[in-house]
Amino acid sequence: MDPILEMNHVSKVYGEGATEVKAVQDVSLALEPGEVVLVMGPSGSGKTTLLSMLGALLRPSQGEIRIDGTDLTRLSESQLPRLRLQNFGFIFQDFNLLSALTALENVMLVAQLAGARNGDARRRAVEILTDFGLQGRLDFLPEKLSGGEKQRVAIARALINEPAVILADEPTANLDSKIGFEIMRLLRQIAKEQRRSVVVVSHDQRIREIADRVLWLEDGGFKTLAATASDPVCGMAIEKDRAAASLTWEGAEYFFCSRGCRAEFEAGLRSAPLPA
Amino acid sequence: MLMARRNLGRDRTRLLLNIAGVALAILLILLLTGIREGMFRQITSYLDRTPGSLLVSQGGVENLLSVTSLLPAGATARVQGTRGVESVIPILSQYTILDLHGRKQAAYLIGYVPARGGGPWRLAAGRAPRADDEAVFDRVLAERHDLALGDRVDVMGRTLEVVGLSEGTTSWMTSFFFLRKSAVESLVRLPGATSFLLVTTDEGASVDDVRSRLASLDGVDVHTKGEIAANDRKLFARYFSAPVTLMAAIAALVGALVVGLVIYTATVERQRDFGVLKAIGAPNRSLYLVVVAQSLIASLGGVVAGSVLAIGARAGIMALRPQFLIVLEPADFVLALVVGLGIAMVAGLYPARRIGGLAPAEVFRR
Amino acid sequence: MIRLAWRNLTQNPARLLISLGGVSVALVLMLTLDAIFTGMEQRVTAFIDRSGADIFVSQQDVRNMHMASSSLARGQQARVKSVAGVASVTPILYVTNPILAGKDRSLAYIIGVPSDAKAGGPWEIESGREDPGAGGVVLDVGVAAKAGIGLGGEVEILGDTFEVVGLSHGTASMAGSVAFISLDDFADLWQDSDTVSFLLVETAPGEAPEQVAAGIEARVRDVTAMTRQEFARQERKVVRDMSTDILAIMNIVGFLIGLAVMALTVYTGTLSRRAEYGVLKALGARNGKLAATVVWQAVISVSLGFLIALILTSLLTVAAPLASASLRLVIGLPSVAKVVVTSLVIAGVASLLPIWQMARLDPATVFRRR
Repeated sequence: MDPILEMNHVSKVYGEGATEVKAVQDVSLALEPGEVVLVMGPSGSGKTTLLSMLGALLRPSQGEIRIDGTDLTRLSESQLPRLRLQNFGFIFQDFNLLSALTALENVMLVAQLAGARNGDARRRAVEILTDFGLQGRLDFLPEKLSGGEKQRVAIARALINEPAVILADEPTANLDSKIGFEIMRLLRQIAKEQRRSVVVVSHDQRIREIADRVLWLEDGGFKTLAATASDPVCGMAIEKDRAAASLTWEGAEYFFCSRGCRAEFEAGLRSAPLPA
Repeated sequence: MLMARRNLGRDRTRLLLNIAGVALAILLILLLTGIREGMFRQITSYLDRTPGSLLVSQGGVENLLSVTSLLPAGATARVQGTRGVESVIPILSQYTILDLHGRKQAAYLIGYVPARGGGPWRLAAGRAPRADDEAVFDRVLAERHDLALGDRVDVMGRTLEVVGLSEGTTSWMTSFFFLRKSAVESLVRLPGATSFLLVTTDEGASVDDVRSRLASLDGVDVHTKGEIAANDRKLFARYFSAPVTLMAAIAALVGALVVGLVIYTATVERQRDFGVLKAIGAPNRSLYLVVVAQSLIASLGGVVAGSVLAIGARAGIMALRPQFLIVLEPADFVLALVVGLGIAMVAGLYPARRIGGLAPAEVFRR
Repeated sequence: MIRLAWRNLTQNPARLLISLGGVSVALVLMLTLDAIFTGMEQRVTAFIDRSGADIFVSQQDVRNMHMASSSLARGQQARVKSVAGVASVTPILYVTNPILAGKDRSLAYIIGVPSDAKAGGPWEIESGREDPGAGGVVLDVGVAAKAGIGLGGEVEILGDTFEVVGLSHGTASMAGSVAFISLDDFADLWQDSDTVSFLLVETAPGEAPEQVAAGIEARVRDVTAMTRQEFARQERKVVRDMSTDILAIMNIVGFLIGLAVMALTVYTGTLSRRAEYGVLKALGARNGKLAATVVWQAVISVSLGFLIALILTSLLTVAAPLASASLRLVIGLPSVAKVVVTSLVIAGVASLLPIWQMARLDPATVFRRR
């Protein structure tokens, strides 16, 4: 299957000479339709810059980005808004709904920006909001919606123009854990059922479970977290090939953050059998 | 104070808008009051510059302008003969509407006896009239209508030649023009008629005494020039002063609105900063001071800018429309300063109260 | 985008109120001043329009009553009467002067009419009689009321005392009222019985006034003859020409005030929504759409402001005459059209800076951490 979104050797450099900052360095990425990719990494690693470039909000210093075959970097400024409207859906940490419009109007607006007529936009917006269980909240202003409801409206808004790619920036950061989890499951469901690609930038460890791929962005470059395991003693998430210590016992392999944890584990083994 | 400066300075555009709003208000107030004062001066210019301390008019008349006065026959001689009267200037005057190249121009016609005075006090060009078909026109009026020395103008059925151009006889509403008294007598078909007598009293004679003696004469009224001038000003004020003052007041109000809005939005956006200060323990009073200081700085800047603009606008308007006299004196600028400060106080009021009511817990909101 | 503009406006009622208030004040200023002058224009010709004369004969070159005077020899009356098409000639004397009614001093057109006047006398009598007669005066009912006098009261005119014998309607404007005394009394006060001011001519039925007027000018020396309509037109022109300068100033003042308030409210309104506009840009809205939102906000604001101003001014036209009989406001169509155009210009200019600022807004800021 052809990737729907491709980044080839993309770099973003700010400033010049002594003050030069390489926010993103020689990054390549291919995204398949229906794929959910999670991008994680420490603050300042360039995650936001990457997401901005993917969404045609920022021009790379080098490299090319293709959406459905079209090279973003070759388009003029005036062509980008239309491209964003039709190909991308955005979801934000702060929801970013327009405070003066109701839930329904927020979703309708984006449809109308893409050229939909009033009646048609309303119909589609009602449909998609109903799918998300918000049929009782259509005329509510954002200030009257709960965090989870707001994010669902935002997702509806992101989907209304049937984009190929959804870009989400910390979608669960302002939600409590239960709601956040539901939102992520919803995103995964949309990706799989509707064959849309989802790129999520997040710190939230729980999202790892629903992602097809987890990319680690550090100092402007990607590292794929091949496989991860939990340290049974302290609970830390460990990359298997970077584990400080490991142990094989009764056919199962265990990974530890440090030799100290492994030592504790071994001591425990000797004293009591592990639960099944 | 420092925070006020930084708070405002952070958005330079907003500060400029703030200053612009106040400057506009100050500009309007200065110009409007300047125009009104200028009109007052123009209206009373004839009385101010013509000799005499008393004005004798037809009974029941207490204005010079806007009225037609006709003294009873023989009044001039009787006034002249009254004890304490040194000299008498007779004039025959009335309004006319001049049709000058399609535009109607009101002008105040004064018929005087050149030998006795009562005519133009300063000539920009030419001379006084020597014949009944000669006239002296106000210089600015002549310029506005492309009249020059030697040109002819039709007035009330007679063709007059412009032989002189007078200075200081302009007004946006009417200008003065001068003919010989005998010329006006024949124009209005009232030989020997006189409208007013300007009376100069003997040195040493009491003006009040002369006045009461003259008042006892039949069919006349006597007033001091000052009283007549005041009456003319009052008459004008009735029709034009009110709208002008109203507009100046509105300008001040709008200035306050503008500043208030800017300060308000600046304060709202910095709500967190203020909340933090409060949480740390800053007393309300110091926060009020910050808000008021902000509006003060902006208002003072606006006062200066507005004053400079007013001086420039005055020069421009008077150059383009010389019939307008705009008077700007130091007292006016003091008024502007007071208005600016007033605006600052009023504009800072609502935002200051809002800060006062701010709960310090705001600081922990995302 | 209209919907968004409307919602943005109504979301902040305080700011909306300020902008509506400021704009409507400025527009009321312009509309009211225009209305005052239009009313004056119409009223200033009340005497001419209602005089009953078809033609006015005046001293040569005199084409106005307001702020002017005219002197004709009495003998001209016979000569005018002899012109073909003239049915009747009524001489009147006229001067503008203050009259003293009670303690109230006000300016008036003082008209001296003969007792058998076919034209030139009061046209609508509320009480009393219409012929002033010797020693009598017909006074405007509003002026009398303001002075606190009625029939039988005393009025001082040109130094002499007259008794109110009739009260008339429609004879007052901001420029002054009209008071009628007898022609003979007027001539006495003017120490001259040989002069009249105007000759009011009624034309014979079927005669065209313009032609009769031309005939009068051709046959009688040193006079100007105008039809009633032409004379009225000349009078209105006086008001118009004299007020253009002051009206221009006031209109500019109003425009600047309205612009200042509108520009500021649009600017601050846009500024406070900068983040939301950034989001819209990120989602794919073009600059044109954002500009449209700003412009619509301005247009809606000024439109509402205009409606409020129109309503307020209309209320004023009803209330003003109740406060003072001479105050008459007339809202003319040209005035409304001018104010509409001004409002739209204000909306456009006020939007310029915010539109420019929004065009420069970088959509990538939407991902910035708060």
